[in-house]
Amino acid sequence: MLNALLYLRLTSFRNWLLSRARRLRQPKYLVGAIVGGAYFYFFFFRGLSRATGGGARRAAADQAMATVNVTLPTDWLPAAAAVGAVLLLVLMTAMWVIPTQRAALGFSEAEVAFLFPAPITRRSLVHFRLLSSQFRSLVGATIMMLFSNRWSFLGGNPLTHAIGWWFIFSALNLHLSGAGFTLTRLADSGLGGWRRRAFVLAAVATVVAVTLARLPTGERLPLSADDFNLQPLADWVVALTSTAPLGWLLWPLKWVLGPFFAPDSFRFLLALAPALGVITVHYFWVVRTAVAFEDASVDYAERRGARIAAWRSGGRRLGQTPTKGRVAPFRLAGLGRPELAFLWKNLLSTWPYFTPRFFGGCAGLIAVVGFWLNTQPAWRGFLPGIAAVTLMFAGYVLIVGPQFARQDIRSDLSRADVLKTYPLAGWQVVLGESLTPVAILTGILWLALLMFAFTFHPATARFDWLTPGIRLAFALAVAAIIPALVSLQLLVPSAAALLFPGWFQTSRTRGGGPEVVGQRMIFFFAQTLTMILAVLPAAFIGALPFAVTVLLKQTGPVGLLASGLASTLFVLGVLLAEVACGLWLLGGRFEKLDLSAELQP
Amino acid sequence: MIEVTALTKRYGQFTAVKDVSFAVQPGEVLGLVGPNGAGKTSTLRCLAGIIPASAGTVRIAGHDVATDAVAAKRALAFFPDEPRLFDYLTVRQHLNFVARIYGVAGHEGIAQPLLEEFEIADKADQLPGELSRGMKQKLAIICGLLHEPRVMFFDEPLTGLDPLGIRRMKDSIARRAREGATIVLSSHLLHLLEEVCSHVLILKRGEKIADGRIADVAARFSNGDPNVNLEEVFIRATGGSET
Repeated sequence: MLNALLYLRLTSFRNWLLSRARRLRQPKYLVGAIVGGAYFYFFFFRGLSRATGGGARRAAADQAMATVNVTLPTDWLPAAAAVGAVLLLVLMTAMWVIPTQRAALGFSEAEVAFLFPAPITRRSLVHFRLLSSQFRSLVGATIMMLFSNRWSFLGGNPLTHAIGWWFIFSALNLHLSGAGFTLTRLADSGLGGWRRRAFVLAAVATVVAVTLARLPTGERLPLSADDFNLQPLADWVVALTSTAPLGWLLWPLKWVLGPFFAPDSFRFLLALAPALGVITVHYFWVVRTAVAFEDASVDYAERRGARIAAWRSGGRRLGQTPTKGRVAPFRLAGLGRPELAFLWKNLLSTWPYFTPRFFGGCAGLIAVVGFWLNTQPAWRGFLPGIAAVTLMFAGYVLIVGPQFARQDIRSDLSRADVLKTYPLAGWQVVLGESLTPVAILTGILWLALLMFAFTFHPATARFDWLTPGIRLAFALAVAAIIPALVSLQLLVPSAAALLFPGWFQTSRTRGGGPEVVGQRMIFFFAQTLTMILAVLPAAFIGALPFAVTVLLKQTGPVGLLASGLASTLFVLGVLLAEVACGLWLLGGRFEKLDLSAELQP
Repeated sequence: MIEVTALTKRYGQFTAVKDVSFAVQPGEVLGLVGPNGAGKTSTLRCLAGIIPASAGTVRIAGHDVATDAVAAKRALAFFPDEPRLFDYLTVRQHLNFVARIYGVAGHEGIAQPLLEEFEIADKADQLPGELSRGMKQKLAIICGLLHEPRVMFFDEPLTGLDPLGIRRMKDSIARRAREGATIVLSSHLLHLLEEVCSHVLILKRGEKIADGRIADVAARFSNGDPNVNLEEVFIRATGGSET
């Protein structure tokens, strides 16, 4: 029977690989694969083909730390292994504390439909599930190896790292199943959830407390160090995790970590036996404790299927499932601009915090805190740092925000058929759909601008001309431009979705892989380039009033204020004209859009 | 009310609908039938302005769907086979949204009787995720009826409905036709078409095989048999095979 299950898994995997290879015949996947492949090569694989480079990277890290007066331990491995074991303990403790439902094995809906009615024993199903999880563990181990291979403190080589990660993932997978089965048995025998949680947490806390009490005086946590020397801290972590009873609890976990942290091939081979022993014990534990998991597994498969379907059909993120309706953000009358109906609808689809009242409260809070900071001499030293962080945050929101605020045509593209039956021109649909992310991002950027205005205090004489009046005028000008700028930014991903729906849909619905990574990178570069090209004319025309002022030698306060006002209006005019053109073009494209033709495989 | 002239729809090299012409008058219910892949859904989607026709013209209530789409769409409603609802809007909020899109004044007074007619008034504050497949279908239908359209397109309107829902749906279609609506419905359920439709249009491989009153079409394919039903007519007209 296991052969049939193995056949299913291997055949599915082979067909998946073949389908991925076949679709490279389409340019959208081929170009994406080339870009994605280049990315993976230059950032991950190139390091594998050369010497590990650990020494060079280690030297560079030491040099960087020396510049900020931080002393690093001479040997990271013991401390890293200790921290890794503690992390595993935390994860495994969570597996005993968090579960609230009966044990379920992660079958897909298709697996449930075909395997559960089939003449297969429960134990075979467990084996099939364990076998399936091994495929995931192998993929996860390979991916993590690409990252961990860049860690300068590790010894070993890519192969030992990959095998080490496989041991870690396998142990966690098996422990999750074993804990689930055991907890279900305990629940069936009358142990309630809260009693079980209290017992587990109390046991772990007792172990930690006894260990801390037994720690020798000389090994206490070095809190009073004058400089930032990490060596005593590393020594303390190693001592703590080696002291009984915590040390006993962590021994099996350190065995699991052994192959990963092995500095050379000989010690890797030595570490294999204990790690295999832990995995074997876990396996027998899972197989012997397996309880009736069918009901919970069916329920799990259905919930997972619904989440994936929701994710593929629209903009909803995994894990977010609306459970009950919300109060509308504002009253929507039957008559009025239809575009506002999209704002109303899309606000309902996002977090409930995006309301004028919430933004007003945040603005009030920023004003109070900002004013207070300005009156506290002890805190004034932090203001430039806060201003710099605020500026970086604003830049991040402006550039990356449109990728997160997707409550626009992108999230409704799968419902294009419905939208197209509405008696609206295409530009009205695109405009209406854009209003919600524009409102959200504008609100956030206005708050950032307010924070910046309160914290920007240049100390050098070069900025003496930045009087409070000029700063206020500048802030108002930027505030006026922000909505247009955000609108323009949002038109770019909307254009990508409408002009290349095939690319857009496949980049988010057909799973991962180098080609999908490449497609996303192409989108990002295209957005940045388009934005630069769109902003250049506005910047050029906006500079004209200042140029005229300088030519006319009218650089006094009145001249600057007048040129600033004219510049703002010019920039706003150009940006709004670009937005209008964009809406008109995209509206036309939306009217002609035929998803059934665009998404043909 | 619906005038279709030489309608053609192509997807790349493939022609889904080929040079189809017909007209449907107020009070008539046209049943669109054909084997799988005959072009029924493509035809319906072209009529509703969802996808552009590759050639030919479609006029709804006197408005060309290609050149005066907004006016044409004000007069029509399209009911897809699969209800496409917004996950985050309750039943009542769906109606509120649609009312604003179509500019329906006092929509509450129109929506409530519809909710009661389709028996989901008690679900008004629930999200689509809390509704059964049939209830979602009913909500999609109510959303389409809210602006009192004069032209209606139904694509497999009975999918997911329970027997009582099917009866109510058939009655609803027939009543709206009696009140002067122009209706086109596509379905594989030939007994439904026989019950509800006054006219039928048979498509095969994108081409019109026959259209007209059901009795006339039946007579054409009856071979002298006076008791031939629509199922027999369909099989004879389409040659008893798929595309």
